[in-house]
Amino acid sequence: MVAVRELALEYKRAAAAASGPDRVPAVADITCQFRTAAISAIVGPSGCGKTSIVQAIAGLLAPSTGDISIEGMPVRGVRPRTAVIFQDFGLLPWRTVEGNAELPLVIAGIRRSERRRRVDPVLRELGLSAFRSFFPAGLSGGMKQRVAIARALVSEPDLLLMDEPFSSLDALTREAAQEFLLQVRCSRPMTIILVTHSIEEAVYLAETVFVMSGRNPGTMRKRFDIPENRFESRFLTDFRSSQRYLELCGAIRAALRESGRTDDGAVQ
Amino acid sequence: MMLPGGAGLKKARGIIIAIIMVAVLWAIASRVLARPFLPGPGSAMAALVQLVADGTLFVHAGASLGRVLWALAFSFVPAAALGLVAGRSRRANAFVSPFIYIVHPLPKVAFLPIIMLVFGLGDVSKIVLVGIIIFSQILVSARDSARRVPRQLIDSVRSLGATRFDLAMRVVVPATLPDLLTSLRVSLGTAIAVLFLAETFATETGLGYLIVDAWSRIDYPEMYAAIMALSMLGLGLFVIVDGAERLLCPWRSERV
Repeated sequence: MVAVRELALEYKRAAAAASGPDRVPAVADITCQFRTAAISAIVGPSGCGKTSIVQAIAGLLAPSTGDISIEGMPVRGVRPRTAVIFQDFGLLPWRTVEGNAELPLVIAGIRRSERRRRVDPVLRELGLSAFRSFFPAGLSGGMKQRVAIARALVSEPDLLLMDEPFSSLDALTREAAQEFLLQVRCSRPMTIILVTHSIEEAVYLAETVFVMSGRNPGTMRKRFDIPENRFESRFLTDFRSSQRYLELCGAIRAALRESGRTDDGAVQ
Repeated sequence: MMLPGGAGLKKARGIIIAIIMVAVLWAIASRVLARPFLPGPGSAMAALVQLVADGTLFVHAGASLGRVLWALAFSFVPAAALGLVAGRSRRANAFVSPFIYIVHPLPKVAFLPIIMLVFGLGDVSKIVLVGIIIFSQILVSARDSARRVPRQLIDSVRSLGATRFDLAMRVVVPATLPDLLTSLRVSLGTAIAVLFLAETFATETGLGYLIVDAWSRIDYPEMYAAIMALSMLGLGLFVIVDGAERLLCPWRSERV
C-alpha cells in the first residue's frame, strides 16, 4: 500500500516572477491510500497539483508537511523499485531505444552483459526488438511510450507512477496504449498510480479514482471505488459500453463541477 | 535538380559551387577595375602554388593553426564547463552572470597592449588574446544552453536514482553538446579574425604576418594567396567541427 498522510507540498516560484512569496503551495491536506497491486487514478483539472503528488511519491519532491510511505517504509528520496513514466515520456533524445531502456541499469552501475540479459526480454515483450537502435526522434508517439514502459519495467518495479502518460497520444493510439498497459499489468503484480485529466481513462483503468480540485493548493475531494475494474473481475464484460461506466463518468464529472472552478479540457 | 549522395556530399558540392562563383565574380571585378591591387584569381593561385612549392605556406599556416588550436584548447573546455555549471546552479550563476555582463560586451582586442606587456611579444600573448575573446562567447552560450535543458529530462533521470554527476554527464552535457559545437563554430570565425590582427604585430610567422608582409612588399598576388590560405584554414576547421558533430550527435541526423 502507498499511504499518503496529511501531505502538503509547495514548489519554488521561478526566479523571474519577482513579486509574491518564493514558495507557492501546490497541494494541502492530502490523505489517501493506494492499494497494492491495484491501479488507482488521480483525476483533476490542470494546476490542481496532481503532478506534484506523483513527484512526492517518487521521492523527487520533499513534503513540506505530512508523510508518504510505501509498503510501510517512509519515502526519503528516490526509491529503486519505484518507476515513473512522465507526460512526454522523459526519453533521452541522444540514447537509442535500447540505450533508454537500459538507463536505470546503467545508473545502478550494472555490467553490460547483465544489462543486455535483462533488457532483451523486455524489448521483445513490448515489440521493440526491431527498433532497438532507433533514436526516439524516429519513433511515433505510441512507440515512444512503449520505450518509456520498457525503461520502467527493466528496473522490475513494484510501484509504477504515471503522469498523464496517454495525453500526448491520438485517440486510437491512446486506447491501444491503455489496453497495452492492462496487458503489461496482467503479467506483473505492480501497484500503479495514474494521474490523468481524462475522466473516461480513469474510470476505464482504475479500481479507485481520487478526484482533486482547487488550485494552489489543490485538495482531495472525493473517492470512487470501481470494483468492476479489479483484476479478478476485469475482462468479463465490455465495461466501456456498460451503463455503470457511463454513470461513473457522470458522477465524477459532477464531483469535479461542484468543486468549483474547472478549466477547458479538464472536464470533457 | 536532385543531387545524389548524402548530406555531406551535398554540402561539399554547395561549397565547391560557392567557391567557383566567388572566383568568377573576382575575375570579373579584376578585369573591370584593371588595377594592380586586385589581380585575378589566376595570378593569386599561381602565387599560392609558389608558396606551397617553396614550403613558406606551411610554416605560416602551421603557426596560425597552432595558435588557434591552443587558444581553443585553453578556453573551450573551462568556458564550457563554467557555463554549464552556471546554467544549472543558481549559486554558481550568482557569481558568473555579473562577470559575464561586465566582461562579455567589452572590446577585448583593446587589451592587446596590456596582454603584450604581461605575456611578452611571443606566441603566448597571441594565444591569450584569442583565448579570452572566445572564452566569454562560449561561456554565454554554454550557460544559456544549460538553462534550456528540459526540466522533465532532469526529473526523468533523477527518478532513476541518478547522482548529480550522472545528471551532468548523462543529461546536461549531451543535451547541450549541439549548442556547444555551434558556439565552437562561431568562436572559430572570431578566433581567425582576431588571429589576423594579433599576427600583424611583433611576429614573423603566421598567415596574418604573410598577408601584411606581402602587402608591404606590394606583392598583391601573394597577399591574395595568403588571404585564400587563411580562408581555407577557417573552412578546414569548420569542416572538422561539422564532422565532429555528425560523430558525436548521431541522434540529430535522424530528426526530420
